[in-house]
Amino acid sequence: MIESQIFKALGDPLRLKIVVRLSDGSTRTLGDITKGLGITRQGARKQVAVLADAKIVRLKPQGREVKVTLDMDSLRMGKDLITQLENQWDKRLRRLKNLVEKSRD
Amino acid sequence: MQDAITKEITINASKEEVYDAIANPEKVIKWFPDAIEGTYAVGEQPLFVFEGHGKAQMYIVDAKPYEYFAYRWIPGGSDFVGDVRTVPNTLVEFRINEEGDGMCKVVLTESGFASLPKDIAENAFKMNSGGWDYFILDSFKKYFNK
Repeated sequence: MIESQIFKALGDPLRLKIVVRLSDGSTRTLGDITKGLGITRQGARKQVAVLADAKIVRLKPQGREVKVTLDMDSLRMGKDLITQLENQWDKRLRRLKNLVEKSRD
Repeated sequence: MQDAITKEITINASKEEVYDAIANPEKVIKWFPDAIEGTYAVGEQPLFVFEGHGKAQMYIVDAKPYEYFAYRWIPGGSDFVGDVRTVPNTLVEFRINEEGDGMCKVVLTESGFASLPKDIAENAFKMNSGGWDYFILDSFKKYFNK
């Protein structure tokens, strides 16, 4: 998964609202999650398609409706393990520096 | 996945002081784990205790005053208890170099990520402050509930 693709897909207020509506892990219809957003059904399909392309959501056609679910696995992969661990080491080393330099005063 | 992380920091102190903060169990708990269970010495297998995040089993590989300290562990707090050398692990190394003017450079290397199985990598990731799903979705919710 390319992180920039995820961020790009999320970089739109409408799409963010859709993601937030799905953030409890529920599976909902396209009509339901785009209700009250002031967009046409075609517009809603377009926005959800962008999220699906970035693998942020999974789509499952069901009769005339489309069911939408947040793809948590894909979202988790969006932030790299190495980046997380690097940030942790940065914090730890700063604490080490603060401790050693403070105990000199 | 890349195999190693390298980080550096310059500290305004002697290498003896910096080494003590890394190798002395009384000092290391002031900046790294919240507590240590067991003996923090070469060849020993103490546990690093991270309050609210579980424990990390260590194997202390080497300690050379005042320039080198190394241990093996499973990154990210897997709650594994036992000999870390029998399971996929990473090697954490601290190197202390004197830089003159009373300054030291600490070079931290953690290596062995490429050989970690996917489930450990994912677990390590999830253990990190709740993981991505918590981080991003919680931020979104806060943003929209403002």
